[in-house]
Amino acid sequence: MAMMPKRLKHRKSQRGKIRGRATQGNTVAYGDYGLQALGSGWMTARQIEAGRMTATHYLQREGRVFIRVFPHKPISAKPLETRMGKGKGEPEYYVSVVKEGMILYELGGVPEDVARRAFALVAHKMPFRCRFVVRRHAI
Amino acid sequence: MEIAKLKAEARPSKGSREAQRVRLRGQLPAIIYGHGQTPECVAVPTDDFTYLLDHGKHLLELDITGTKRSVLIKDVQYDHLGDKPIHVDFALVDLSERVTVSVPLEFRGTPVGIQDGGVLDHSRVDIEIECKVTDIPESIRVNVSDMKLGDIMHVRDLELPTDMQAVAPADAIICSIRSKTASVETEAGAAEGEAQQPEIIGRKEKEAESEG
Repeated sequence: MAMMPKRLKHRKSQRGKIRGRATQGNTVAYGDYGLQALGSGWMTARQIEAGRMTATHYLQREGRVFIRVFPHKPISAKPLETRMGKGKGEPEYYVSVVKEGMILYELGGVPEDVARRAFALVAHKMPFRCRFVVRRHAI
Repeated sequence: MEIAKLKAEARPSKGSREAQRVRLRGQLPAIIYGHGQTPECVAVPTDDFTYLLDHGKHLLELDITGTKRSVLIKDVQYDHLGDKPIHVDFALVDLSERVTVSVPLEFRGTPVGIQDGGVLDHSRVDIEIECKVTDIPESIRVNVSDMKLGDIMHVRDLELPTDMQAVAPADAIICSIRSKTASVETEAGAAEGEAQQPEIIGRKEKEAESEG
């Protein structure tokens, strides 16, 4: 099942604009390796789930997968063959607003070559270009 | 311990534009502070600094046009992708001083528990230690080859030299060997309760009924 918020303050949201680059959530924090977004955009709950499934399936339950994004934003849509007007459509799905540089997934407890192959498969399911990053040690 | 040497230039002009010009020249804007002295802006060669940083150096001897100063790498700022350093903070230190630094952990060996179907789970990849500034190690080796399924290694189990102390609590976990089935449980837990629509905060039940 795709992720969605448990509680919301407003049922529908405006589209908004994605300005700038990620200033937080742009470092590998939990695992040893990460998948970093090189573009900005919306990542749907289904895409997040597809990436998680691909990683866990490839790893055969070895290691640990961390999901660093959550679909907080409801996206509404009008039903097919409906005339324009009559108000805003109903929420159809949820997305995560991703900025360039954000870490989408992290992996721990597996060798680097395995993590690279797993994330290469996950990257194909992402709506923007991604790259593999290794955790940087604290100073 | 041999102290790494790095040449630096004084940087008279400040500001983001000047910092950008410094970066275009192949240098890295930096600041030196500490010991109650007035902060000093300098520039260091980017390639030389990155090489030292990648090799786990903490203590440097800066040569600022003839004046030599012992400094500790305190903080490094990176660009938004986390690739290139864009600014460095150096803290002045005496060579007899004790400092707190973060040192990477180097896990050695294949745990026994992995053959029994376990997974090595790293809770920490680096550890904060307090030691003499000249005794900072590049990494701390952790031997995990004796760990069995269900074993947990704590900070107190680390073999540190006598004059070195871990800052983290003694019962903090470093790594553990857990069974693969544990991850299945968490995934099943995450999948629960997702079929419902989100609850709207502050909305009364009557309103929801009249709309529906």
